[in-house]
Amino acid sequence: MSVLEIKSLTHSYTDGSPFINDAVSDVSFSVEKGEIIGIIGHTGSGKSTLVQHLNGLLKPTSGEILFESENIWQKPKEIRKIRSKVGLVFQYPEYQLFEETVFADIAFGPKNMGLSGDELTRQVEEICRLIGIKEEYYSKSPFDLSGGEKRRVAIAGVMAMKPEVIIFDEPTAGLDPKGREEITEIIKAYRESTGATVIIISHSMEDMAEIADKILVMNKGKLEMFDETDKVFSNGAHLKEIGLNVPTVTKVFEKLYDMGIDVEKDVFTVNKAVEILTELKGRDNNA
Amino acid sequence: MDNIIEIKNATYSYTDEGISHIALNNISLNIKKGSFTVILGHNGSGKSTLAKLLNGLNTPTSGDIIVDGMNTRDEEKELEIKRKVGLVFQNPDNQLIASIVEEDVAFGPENLGLEPEKIRECVDEALKSVGMYEFRKSTPHKLSGGQKQRIAIAGIIAMSPDVLVLDEPTAMLDPKGRAEIISTLHYLNKEKNITVVLITHYMEEAENADRVIVMNDGEIINDGKPEDIFQNVKQLKEVGLDVPQTTELLYALKQKGFKVNTKALSIEDTAKEIAKALK
Repeated sequence: MSVLEIKSLTHSYTDGSPFINDAVSDVSFSVEKGEIIGIIGHTGSGKSTLVQHLNGLLKPTSGEILFESENIWQKPKEIRKIRSKVGLVFQYPEYQLFEETVFADIAFGPKNMGLSGDELTRQVEEICRLIGIKEEYYSKSPFDLSGGEKRRVAIAGVMAMKPEVIIFDEPTAGLDPKGREEITEIIKAYRESTGATVIIISHSMEDMAEIADKILVMNKGKLEMFDETDKVFSNGAHLKEIGLNVPTVTKVFEKLYDMGIDVEKDVFTVNKAVEILTELKGRDNNA
Repeated sequence: MDNIIEIKNATYSYTDEGISHIALNNISLNIKKGSFTVILGHNGSGKSTLAKLLNGLNTPTSGDIIVDGMNTRDEEKELEIKRKVGLVFQNPDNQLIASIVEEDVAFGPENLGLEPEKIRECVDEALKSVGMYEFRKSTPHKLSGGQKQRIAIAGIIAMSPDVLVLDEPTAMLDPKGRAEIISTLHYLNKEKNITVVLITHYMEEAENADRVIVMNDGEIINDGKPEDIFQNVKQLKEVGLDVPQTTELLYALKQKGFKVNTKALSIEDTAKEIAKALK
């Protein structure tokens, strides 16, 4: 079943003025429950504007967003309800920490949803355990943590609302390789324990290749491609034309293909590459 | 080659709520004139602290930084050192100030007190060298991230620096923007003879550097050519870093019995190694 359906979504900034500018133009797609969707696109392609519609932070100029088959703007006064079901983690979310303690910061979202007492504590503790925030951190000030730890706390704050869909806008930007891997692990852990649907915006093709089931490509406000990860990455030339790229390992395979070696170009992870090449070598040796 | 920067036993420590932290611990390092150096290290390893010492934005707690013979402690040399060593930061939006590209680039040379004709010349030259001349009349905020960052670099280049130090200049950019910055830096290094010190979290960006320095907890733990540095897969992973995907692939293949040279770094060389091993 589709958890989200986006129908002909258009968002114009400065609508009605001579400077009208479609940030998102006639975009339609649907997301199945439990999928991991990667969104890629050049800077200014409309990725962030698009996802801010999915939890009702922005209202479409035209078009509809359906969450579990219901138009989220049907009752505009109740739009806040959608925000606990579709959680959004912004870029550099650590800048939004504000509470006195780590615990209070993480509890802020679920508290606003009406949780209190033991139930609130349980939900916050559960998320902390899941993503590795230790108890001794609960009473610390979030401002005393390192950059990577702050980001983890900020992400926990959204996860603690137990959203059914969770969206990350460049969750690994500015982190070192280990930090990037840790955030990816957190996202996987949340998905595994809750079965949630995950949408991730990223500039790292390698990260997308590792985690996404499907990839949505944005270009100049329009949806350029939406397909299984391997199908998208087999369009290397097209992706490069619109300012994107393919994972490095895919480029190696494009080269091998050009050199006349019997491989496909849609290989996008190191594991898959090793598997294919090992098989190819075995076949040649036996021939 | 002469050393343009000499770092002699530099330590940098600071106190936060009564607790003393050592960000850099007794670092000694020479940067050769005209070289392209990449500094790798995890968040908090001391890379940015080092960058800020190189043009005297901060002075070391102990030890010395010598730029083209001048000590960064010498207050009389402050302006000259800052002109010689330009610093570019992560977020281009924080570095652009004017509403027209060429005015932004002119900010530096104007402050140097140059003649108007000379300013014009510096600005045009700088914009051409980063491939942004045709955008000289544009508004910076309408440009892409990579273009904005190239304008920020042009603003530094317009002051004719000897050294360009960049602190994660590609962290906020998309793949195209990242590629634009890296090729611009190699162009400036080769064609304009500018010494480049690039701090990054992207291992691939070290591929064509002359030298890679690996930092961990305020110390230099490795220093060498990129193809040699990336052989230390285990060490790099231990300090929160990684290797380029090409190296990772060649390593995995070697373990499966492929006869490949794991020092190949570029896509082209990696493919050649694999093709050779398949024969």
